[in-house]
Amino acid sequence: MKVTICIGSSCHIKGSRSVVEQLQYLISENNLGDKVELGGTFCMGNCQKGVCVNVDDEFFSVTPDTVKEFFENNVKARL
Amino acid sequence: MNNLCADIGYKSIFHYGEELCGDHVDIVEENENSTVIVLADGLGSGVKASILSTLTSKIISTMMAAGLSIEECVSTIAATLPVCSVRGVAYSTFTIIHIKDNETADIIQYDNPQVILIRNNENYDYPKMEMNIDGKRIYKSTIKLCENDIFIAMSDGCPHAGIGTAYNFGWKREEIIEFMEALSGCGYTAKTLSTILIDECNKLYGNEPGDDATACIIKIRRREPMNLLFGPPSNRSDCNRMMSLFFSKEGKHIICGGTTSTIAAKYLRKPLRPSLNFERSDIPPTAELEGVDLVTEGVITVNKVLEYAKDYLDKNECYEQWSFKRDGAALICRLLFEEATDINFYVGRAINPAHQNPDLPINFSIKMNLVEELSACLKKMGKRIKVSYF
Repeated sequence: MKVTICIGSSCHIKGSRSVVEQLQYLISENNLGDKVELGGTFCMGNCQKGVCVNVDDEFFSVTPDTVKEFFENNVKARL
Repeated sequence: MNNLCADIGYKSIFHYGEELCGDHVDIVEENENSTVIVLADGLGSGVKASILSTLTSKIISTMMAAGLSIEECVSTIAATLPVCSVRGVAYSTFTIIHIKDNETADIIQYDNPQVILIRNNENYDYPKMEMNIDGKRIYKSTIKLCENDIFIAMSDGCPHAGIGTAYNFGWKREEIIEFMEALSGCGYTAKTLSTILIDECNKLYGNEPGDDATACIIKIRRREPMNLLFGPPSNRSDCNRMMSLFFSKEGKHIICGGTTSTIAAKYLRKPLRPSLNFERSDIPPTAELEGVDLVTEGVITVNKVLEYAKDYLDKNECYEQWSFKRDGAALICRLLFEEATDINFYVGRAINPAHQNPDLPINFSIKMNLVEELSACLKKMGKRIKVSYF
């Protein structure tokens, strides 16, 4: 599974750094390092809905407060 | 003609408790390749010394740049300087470095510590000729410039640093030479070198300098072009034109902006690989793109670069951050401040709809201001700047 997080200006201001760090932590905590590939991307053209995150090719809007919920429902549950 | 140029930087600290500096550095550009640099140290400290040194350096630099002889400069100063009521003399020591066509340097010294020349990371003992003008003993040297020559002019506050506290007789010239030789190969700019030297003096004085201390450093270097792309063009159909102009230029290429780098990746037909490494910094991560030397995020990164640039021209307290950090802004700073001498900006005027959100601290006019302010700062650093808008 590939999870891509936008690190463009808009998403950066909305907290993409915290989203990346939380996801990195959750992935290693659950020992999913070999199943989930975390990547960055520049603007996905959806700045209004930032922080923009793609799981494979599906779009999600995540905020630093909803990372855990997003991880449980859309990353862990799908594996 | 050669492709050398002079990077000039200086820094002063004031006598403890004084609000003015008794040393003064004046730089006059005669033309594109010739410059007169004067470092003057006025008698005493405070207001009186400041007036003496300002007058001396201004008069000499202006007269020299106008092509007048050193004899005329000296007699003008002797006739002009106000006489100190306490000491009954009018006195300001000076060092003149006259860079001619970026090929030779004339050094004229009167009572300041001897100018140090570091060539190939070693002290170079250059010949001096003694002259007597109006009873003043003045030394003159003419030196052919080589790449990486570093000239260090100082006021006597530098070798006097630490007298009675750290060292019995101050910071000896040989020790200053050794200290600077070690730094000469590191790629620091003249401004950074002078800051490091003066910071060391300040340390030796125990942060309470007993005299004004100034270092002015001139570093002879090769011209280095650099190109920076920032923002997509306002008209989509101009993308290819903007990219081909940008990539056809000689020198390193920097791209700032997510959308901009995506356009460049498409033009180059190479994959754009953003990193997720934040380098312990609040600046967004950089990216990799084959054929481009550095790819960063746009406004936030450039805003940080501007902050560093303003500090560099002012107190230069942040050089330790941008000299060593590995985030996008620090990397741009090292390329622009240290490596580049001629910078071409390619600025796109497209309005990013996502940035026009009132909740966000970035918008179009801020972006345009960033470019203007940054190019003004870089000009003050002595760089040649060209800005093209698309």
